[in-house]
Formats: sequence, structure tokens, C-alpha cells
Amino acid sequence: MNDVSRATAGGPARDAPAIAQGRTAGQRTPLIDGVEKVTGRARYTADLPTGETLVGRILRSPIAHGVIRRIDAAAARSIPGVRAVITGEDFAAPYGVIPIARNEWPLARGKVRHRGEPVAAVAAIDEASVEAALAAIVLDIEPLPAYFSAAAARAANAVQLHENKPGNIEREVDQAFGDVDAGFAAADLVRERTFHYAEVAHGQIELNAAVATYEPERDRLTTHSVTQVPYYLHLTLARCLGMDSSQIRVVKPFVGGGFGHRVEPLNFELVTAALARAAGGTVKTELSREDGFLTHRGRPETDIRLKLGMKKSGAITAVDCEIVQRGGAYGGYGLVTILYAGALLHALYKVPAVRYRGYRVYTNTPPCGAMRGHGAVDARHAFESLLDIMAGELGLDPFAARRANLIVPPYRTLNDLQVNSYGIPDCLDWVERASGWKTRRGKLPRGRGLGLACSHYVSGSAKPVHWSGEPHAVINLKLDFDGGITILTGAADIGQGSSTLLAQVVAEVLSVPLARIRVIAADSALTPKDNGSYSSRVSFMVGNAAIRAAQEMKRVLVTAAAKRLEVHPEDIEWNGDHCRVAGTDRTLDFAGAVDAALVDTGTLTVKGSWSTPPETQGGKFRGAAVGSTAGFSYAAQVVEVVVDEDTGAVAVERVWVAHDCGFAINPLAVEGQVQGAVWMGMGQALSEETQYHEGLPLRPNMLDYRVPTIVESPPIEVKLVESRDPLGPFGAKEASEGALHSFAPALANAICDAIGIRLTDLPASPDRVLEAIQARKRRERLRASIGVSAQPDPERH
Amino acid sequence: MERMPQFDLRRPASIAEAAALLAAEPGARLLAGGTDLLPKMRRGIERPPVLVDLGAVRDISRIDYADAGLALGAGVTLSQLAMDGRIVHHHRAIAEAARSVAGPGHRSAATIGGNLCLDTRCVFYNQSEWWRATNHYCLKLGGDVCHVAPQGSHCHAAFCGDLAPALLVLGASVELCASRGARVIPLSDLYRDDGVAHLTLEPDEVLVRVLVPARSPALVSGYRKARARGAIDFPLAGVACAVVARNGVLAELKVALTGTNSRPILLTGTEALVGRVIDEATLSALGKLVQKQASPMRTTVTQSNYRRQVAAALAQRLVCELAGYEPSAARASMS
Amino acid sequence: MTKRLLALTVNGRMREDAVAANLLLLDYLRGTAGLTGTKQGCDGGECGACTVLIDGQPRLACITLAAACEGRVVETIESLAIEGRMSRLQQAFHEKLGTQCGFCTPGMIMAAEALLRRNPRPTDADIREALSGNLCRCTGYVKIIESVHAAAGG
Repeated sequence: MNDVSRATAGGPARDAPAIAQGRTAGQRTPLIDGVEKVTGRARYTADLPTGETLVGRILRSPIAHGVIRRIDAAAARSIPGVRAVITGEDFAAPYGVIPIARNEWPLARGKVRHRGEPVAAVAAIDEASVEAALAAIVLDIEPLPAYFSAAAARAANAVQLHENKPGNIEREVDQAFGDVDAGFAAADLVRERTFHYAEVAHGQIELNAAVATYEPERDRLTTHSVTQVPYYLHLTLARCLGMDSSQIRVVKPFVGGGFGHRVEPLNFELVTAALARAAGGTVKTELSREDGFLTHRGRPETDIRLKLGMKKSGAITAVDCEIVQRGGAYGGYGLVTILYAGALLHALYKVPAVRYRGYRVYTNTPPCGAMRGHGAVDARHAFESLLDIMAGELGLDPFAARRANLIVPPYRTLNDLQVNSYGIPDCLDWVERASGWKTRRGKLPRGRGLGLACSHYVSGSAKPVHWSGEPHAVINLKLDFDGGITILTGAADIGQGSSTLLAQVVAEVLSVPLARIRVIAADSALTPKDNGSYSSRVSFMVGNAAIRAAQEMKRVLVTAAAKRLEVHPEDIEWNGDHCRVAGTDRTLDFAGAVDAALVDTGTLTVKGSWSTPPETQGGKFRGAAVGSTAGFSYAAQVVEVVVDEDTGAVAVERVWVAHDCGFAINPLAVEGQVQGAVWMGMGQALSEETQYHEGLPLRPNMLDYRVPTIVESPPIEVKLVESRDPLGPFGAKEASEGALHSFAPALANAICDAIGIRLTDLPASPDRVLEAIQARKRRERLRASIGVSAQPDPERH
Repeated sequence: MERMPQFDLRRPASIAEAAALLAAEPGARLLAGGTDLLPKMRRGIERPPVLVDLGAVRDISRIDYADAGLALGAGVTLSQLAMDGRIVHHHRAIAEAARSVAGPGHRSAATIGGNLCLDTRCVFYNQSEWWRATNHYCLKLGGDVCHVAPQGSHCHAAFCGDLAPALLVLGASVELCASRGARVIPLSDLYRDDGVAHLTLEPDEVLVRVLVPARSPALVSGYRKARARGAIDFPLAGVACAVVARNGVLAELKVALTGTNSRPILLTGTEALVGRVIDEATLSALGKLVQKQASPMRTTVTQSNYRRQVAAALAQRLVCELAGYEPSAARASMS
Repeated sequence: MTKRLLALTVNGRMREDAVAANLLLLDYLRGTAGLTGTKQGCDGGECGACTVLIDGQPRLACITLAAACEGRVVETIESLAIEGRMSRLQQAFHEKLGTQCGFCTPGMIMAAEALLRRNPRPTDADIREALSGNLCRCTGYVKIIESVHAAAGG
């Protein structure tokens, strides 16, 4: 039942949007847990004091694809100091974040499907015993043919990785909206291009770690982990360990970034818990950087074929796109990724007809998953690149090509996504002005160029992964004799500042100073369930729940104050630290209001919840839920590059980015998120890629997985556009992902402006850029040799 | 990741004592800054039974100037080299090379001796024990196949030290000490073209000093490094040049490369360019020399052909910069 | 394996601890000394998260042997706040959002501390060079540079 009135506590069905007075909401606010971070006092999972603790370690498969004939752990178990040795047989069920795609065991069972897949695990009293035990485990695996590319896995005679997936296709998508053929027929220009994108990884700086304590006397488990999704981890622990979920507690300490690596339960978390249970004590597992690349869940290697039809005005008449993703060995979020790619491909603009075919392919490489900008980043590069190519051919300025396709909200896209606010026009205006586009573009020296692109993203998925009919978000507030307000939330702050935002929201509604508020986050024994920090859902959904909880608390306090002052609640002017009877000098301070509210009831606890309205939850077609959201963020950015044509090196000199976040509850944090998103897009666009040697990651470290350093990272000037979304908390929308997508295409467009070469592969690493430059020289020489007069290179657009 | 292997740590107070320890303990390794050795030990690539830590040896971190030239103690750190005013002024290639290494946290530990004795690197070698075992090891360590060139019988791991080319173009020599005595050899003789055993150093020899002869004040030098990022990375190709130019004519030219071969190489044939006017033709000839002698193989995640081409481009550009020559609008051709 | 007695100064305190030869400074600080502010983010020498000061110089604790620090002065992030007051760098990183997830922050601040001690008014280029070995995955570095400038009074 999606009825909002039933899911919303403490307010009318569709209450008027809360307006921020700007006392705390809208203020640049340092993180409420920032002091711990800058002083070194913040405790991350690996820092937790754990008392007597066993060392946990995972044994990984050296074989890319094979049938497990036997895992002999007898010798390992007999080594002194070893307390537990477990295999896939020690788990009750397989897991997978999507309920219909649970095909992964925490430790491989039956088959192994990628090199580095966990096959056994040990807990022992020290490192030396652990190493001895791992070395003593005998693996007998019969190899099968292995496939390291989507094409190889799709070949006619390929062995299936999973029994129920013929052709190694995890998910095939075939969607059409509007009359695509008529759209192309009506176009003045039709162009088709292919693009290729390397696989990329999250690269969060904190290494993976988990600590689990099992109490045999009570059959209880407590797990501390680096997760972004404590609730999904909780469910999965219960499932895989065959435990009643009431016997499990999941705590998220400080987390050193996630970017999607940790938005699904990961094998090491489940293994650590199983080891703790087997050993009857506390086990800590700390993974290496290499382990992270073997666990992976990053953005898949992707091939895109894209065709667009366009009128002379720049108006898009039709879109036809095919996307193939190399998904890796297991499901994970894969089917969501391939659906996102299609859902967000065109919904940025007003487009009359779309055909989309997507193929998510199983391969013998580490599983891919969700990564910041989930599903939509590569497709955005293809779309915005082709838009520029065609605008060039039609003699249109890139800004004009975008402006010819703008949406006017409220608007429902072809694929039933609801757009209620749309800040793209303002974003475009600002980046055009700030970058000096009109006066500079086309007049820069050779090698220097400007490029534009736009992007958008969801503010939380309107259909959560586990659709239970519960509200999308719940917040509890506690107020007691001390006058301190405690926010209890399951939302996982992983550095994005969500706890700070929730504190600001509650302080704003109650008109109290931030100092009065504490946040207790993500401990299943204390805090209400939250779906987790992914798809940029927390600000929007949990923020809305926090507003409602605070409104409810305010109602209780005002009522109590009115009773104490012997007036009607409507006569109370609430001002946080004091309230006053309107038109009089009679006041009651906050402590007095609290005292009054506690009479007869004692400790005050209130709840606020929020659900996305039904009309924002997507259409009826298969896969329609993916991409649906209550509010889209929007961004436009201009990138200025200098290309060194001798070395192929691309230097990003400056970025101007405008992001429509609806309303910036914490402008300081929003800027930081936008800069981080743009910059992460830069890493993918310029230097980051994974690479495999027969299924072994060739770059499983921070030397060869080239996360940009501070040296080549440019100034990023941010403009926050506030379109005030009617459903967002104080009008706010997401701010952490939407600006990522437009970096890579803006860069590609800028490189083309600088040197006239259109790069269709990412990353634009120096070797690829130089190869493209030399390929052009070869074409020019060939043209010269066959006597074709000097014409502009057709690649230049 | 494996835990650090076990070893005995010795902390000699003198070079003589260090050399004696090396002679007495087979498999013992010297530890200076540790920025190369310790990451390899963490990956199980090196498992020396004994480490001889030079941290307590006095007087190996001095920079001495004399009429005869510059003497650099083996323990001089790269940050010392990068910041020493006289080196920056008179031996710019050394300062630029030192400054280009990794990051400040490495440079304040890493020494010139260690950088010259840096192990060769390969993407099939600088991996964890699990990784290398899964890949059936390689010619350089524990296996019998080179994954870079499986048909061959030669290890192609590349030397990636940044200091060596800078010192090669300045004609440096190195002083080596063993318990049986000391010797001074040209720096180029410290290396051989073998990815497995690229150093000619005897097992009990300690590199103690680097000697850079005094040169004409007209000689200018520099170092340029191709890498994917602005810091941290080893060179995809590194180029040092030392140039004397008079009135647009090359009076002296030395070019050395790193990152492309199993040893740092001092380019041969540059004397043929001496006496020539610096112009597109001369630069093109220089580019050809570099491309011919650089022989990068697939030892990094970046394509080997790129490393060859960029080495040539950097050499051409650096010679122009040092000689004060403005290349024409039509760029120096790279092919 | 035999242990040796290690005498050194950590955050202003003289310490003597029995340490194994193969104990890394990182593990000594985090385990033996209980100073978990220093972080590990890679498998050795690639990310800078473990940056500490040894005799005032920025060094990577993950590729430094504890035993090699005999007689040295080691400073970690925990040493910067004096009498409960955050240092200027800590204050600036907090107020300017030079930290997001916070995991690279201790190493980043220690590298910046080394810079400001020898160069109290650094330029953008000085800051970039001094922090070039410290990877941050959250901020895009923009607000880190602002934070260092702010701490320098700029």
C-alpha cells in the first residue's frame, strides 16, 4: 500500500512543503563529527578496541572458473592456534542484494566463478597460525573454460556460469517508448556512434574490515563493519548464517568512504560473522587493497552503440541505444545497473521516442555492482558526446543544442519518471557565463579547449530493493529531562555528512541551536531501520522523515507549553530557546517547555517517516521502478583542458559546475559533494581503469589503479542552483552524484574543441590520446597521398 | 596481503661493519630508506634472513662540494637533493629527478644509494604472493616463464629509478665498498641489461658515494618524466639531458633514459648530433635515436609503444628547453 | 623471533617497548602505542594515509620499520591538539570541510604540518607538492587546499 497518508506520521497526507527559515538549514555547517576526524579520535572498524580477538583471513580461488571437487581443511584445523576453518558448506543460504538474484555464496559452493573468489576462511590466535592454516587447506578444483570479456561469455558455445542463465545473459532489457522509426524519419540529421568504457573501481581509502562477536551462551551475534547498508547486512547475516534476525546486532562505526563498494553486503562481512560463530568468540578480518579489487563491485566495462535523430533546431527526435555490460561473476546490483543505464539515458531532456536494448553479461571476473552515478555515467558520456557531434554538424552551439531539448516541469518522461523541478536552464546560464564561453570558445589557442555537458540523477530510488510496504525512511527523536535532543537514525554517514544534515533539519524545525542535538546513527539495537546510504536517498528521504519527526516534537512541546501557560497552542509563538504567548510578555524557556512535556509521559520519543508519493514510483512496464525517484538533481558543467599533442597528456585546467540540488541544507557540504563527484568523474575520464590478465586484476593497488593526485586535480568552481523541489525536504534534492556524470563528456567535448579529435573510449589516458592523434596523422597522410584536397577532418565536431 | 616476513635486523655503526655483515650473512640485504624493499617484503617478493639497516651509520648523508666536483653520500635523501640550492642551480637534472620521485613521504626516507640500486619492476612481479602464485610466478622470481614475452628466455623487468639517468648524463661514478676493499666505477657500469640481475654490485658490496665531476658552467641539464599522474607514479619513461649549446649549435649533448629498459641507458650516437644546428632535422634525428634504443616491453599497464614515443618527445622537448630553442609551430615530429 | 628494546619519543613522550624486527612503525603506533589515528589505506607506500613525522619530516609509517626509529622523534595526528585545542590545521580542515570521510585526513594533516613548519605561507603549488603523496577519494582536494591556506592565515 503506497498510500502516503498511511505512511506518514504526524502530518496531513500531503502537508505543505516545509520552508526553511535558514537558522540552521541553509547555513554552511562543518560536519558534526568533523572534530573526531581531524584529531584522529574517530574510530573506524579497524580501530575498534575488541579485547581478546582472533585473526580472520580468507583463502581465495586461483582458478577463474571451475567445479569444486573437494576442499580438504582437516590439516588446517589441526594446526595449533587455529580456532575455526569454514567453507561454503558452513552457510545456510546464498546471498545477493536483489532478492531475485541471490546467486552468490559467502564462500564458494559447487563452483568458483572468478579468480580471487573466497573459498575458505580461517580464524586463529595470531597471523602466523592463520597463514599456516591457509597454506594447509587443499583445494581440488576442476577448471572450466573461463570468459573475461562479455563477447567471449556470449559466444554460442560458451559454458554457462550459472545454470539458469543461458548465453550468460544475466538480464536483457528491451524497451521502446514512442514511435522511434517515425522519430528518425522526422530528423534532419541522424548519426550513430559506438563507445567503449573501461571498468572502474571505487577506491575508497579505508580498507575493508569487519569485527564480529558471537556469544554462544545466548546465540547472539554483533557485527561492526564498513558497510553503507547496515540493514541489508543485517538481513543477509540472518539469512546466510541461518540465524533469527532478532539475535543479530549490526553497528556501523566511522566509515572511510564507500562510493558504492559497500552498498551491498560483502562476502568478508558474512565470513567474519561465520568465523566468529564457529570459533565462539570475536574475530577481526582486515582486508588488503588487493582484496578490495578482488571484491570489486565497481562500474562495469561497457560498450555502447547510440543513434540519435535531430532537427536543425537541435531538438532530438529519437534515441536508439544498445548497451552491453561485462557484469562479472555474480548478480549483485547488476540488473539494476543495466536498467539505470537505459532509464536515465534520455530522461534528462524532452525526448519523443526511445528504444533501448541492454545486456548484462556474466563473466569470470570479480562481480561489478553499484558505483557513484550508478548505471548512468557511461551512457551520459555517449549521449552528450553525440549531442555535441551533431550540434557541430548542424552549426549549433553546444548550449543551443541542450536548450533545444529542455523540459518544463511538472513533466512526465516517456518512461514514466516524474520531474517536479528542473534547474538545468539556470545551470546552463551560469556555466556559460562563468566560463566565458561566448567570448572564449573558438578563440583559444590550439591545444586548449572548452567542453560542455549536462547530467542528472535520482534522489533515492522510489522503489527500495526490499519492497516491504514500510515507509521509505523513519527517524526517531528522543528528548529527556536533560533537554538534549537525540536523533536516532539508521542512515549511514560514510563521510557525505548525512548526520550533520539531519541535525540541521531537526534544529531548523525546532528553532534550537545545533549544539542541543546529538545524532546516534546506524546501530540496529538503538536506531530505526534505514535502507542505507545509496542512490543519494538520505538527504531527500531521511531528511523528509526528520522534518516530520521534528514537527511532531515541536507540536508536543508547543502543546505542553500552552498547557503550562494556560493558553491555546495556537497562541504560542515558538522560538526554540523561548516561547511566548503571542502579544504578551509571558514566556517559557526551552527547559520549562521540556519539563511541561514530560509531565505524565516521561521521556519523550517521537517518530517521523516519509514515503515517496505513488506518482513518483515509476510506470507499469518491466523494470520501470529503476530510475524512478521523487526528485531529480541536475547539473551542467564546462571543462577547460590543455592537450599536449606530443605526449597525449590532458591537463584539466578548470571546471565550472552548476548543480541543481533543490535547496542546499548545508551549502558547505553540498559544495564538497559536488566537487568530489566532479573529481571522481575526472578520475574515470582521465586515468582510472581496472585491467585483467586471464581474470587476475593487473592493477590491484593504488599505484596502477590511478586515482588522481592533488597535483593534477583542478580548481572546481561550484554554483548551487536551488529549484526548490515541491517534495524535497525544504525543497532539497540529491547533491552527491548528479555532477559526476557530466564530467567525462564535458572533457571529451573539450578535447575535441582543443585538438579536433573525438575520443569515444574512456579513460582518455595519454597513450589513448596519443594513439588517436597519430591515427589522425595517418589518415591525413593517406588523404594527401591519394590527392584529396585538404578538408577538415570529419572526426572534428 | 601477507604479513611481513621475519628477519634479523642489524644496525651497524659503520660502512665497514655493514660490508662485513653482508659478507658474513648470505642473503642479507641492505636497508636504507626502505621505500623499495619494504613494500616488496610486504608482498613476499623479498624474504631476506637478515636486514642490515644503514640508519645508524654516520657520515653517509653528506653533500660535499669540491673543485673536483660533487660527492654525494649514499644516504643523502631525495628530499635533500631536491632542495639543495647548489644542486638545483648547478646540477638541475639531479634536483628535478629527485623531486619527481613518488611523494614527500617517500623522498624524505629514500636515499640516492637506494634509488640507484632500485630493483627492476614489472606488472607481473610487483604483486602479492597470492597473485604471483596464481599466475605461476615468472622468470624474475620463482617461475620459468616471462609473461611479458613468453617465447623468450629473458626477463624484461624495467629499471625505473629516476636518479640514474640524471647522474649518467653528468658523467657520475660510484664508489663501492666491500670488506676486501673499495672501488670506483662509472655509474653506467653499475648496470647490466638483465631484468633479473641488473646490478653488477657484488653481494657484499655497499654503494657509499656518488661522484659527479665538475663540469663547464655552460653545461645545463634537466630531467623530464612521463607518468599518468602528477605524482606518486614511477616513470613510464624518464629522460635526462645535459647540453652545451652555443649560438644555436649543439656543442655537447648527453641523453639518458629510464623506465624503458632493464637498465638505465646513456644514449649512444648523440655525438653525431654535436656540432649541428638545433633545428627540426636535428630533433628528428634525436627522436630516432631515442626510439631505437629505448626498448620498453609490456612491463607496465601502459602500452610499451607509448613509452617509446613519449621518451622521444620528452628528449626533443628537453633539449629545446635547455638550448633555448623554440620549436616551430609545426611541432617536432615524433615519428 | 627475538625482540629488541626500542627507545624513541612518540608525541612528546619517551617510550621503551620490546618490538620484533619486522614490526612496522604503523603497527607499532596503532597496536603497541594505541594511537589509531594513523591509518592504513594500501598495501604499502601508495596512498599516504599513514603519514607521520619522524624528526619533523613526513614519512610513511607503513613502510618504515619501528626498530629503525631508535632514538627518533615521532609525531602523529594525536599530537597536534594542545591542551584540548585543535591546531590551526585541524581547525581549518574541520571548518573548511577539508575532511569528508576522514580516513585520509590524519595523513593529509601531518603532511601539511610538515609543509607549514618549513613554509608558513605556501602557494597553491607548494601545497600541491607537499600533499602530492596523499590520496583523498572524497573531496577532489579543492577544500583541502583551501584548508591549508586558511591554516596558514591566507
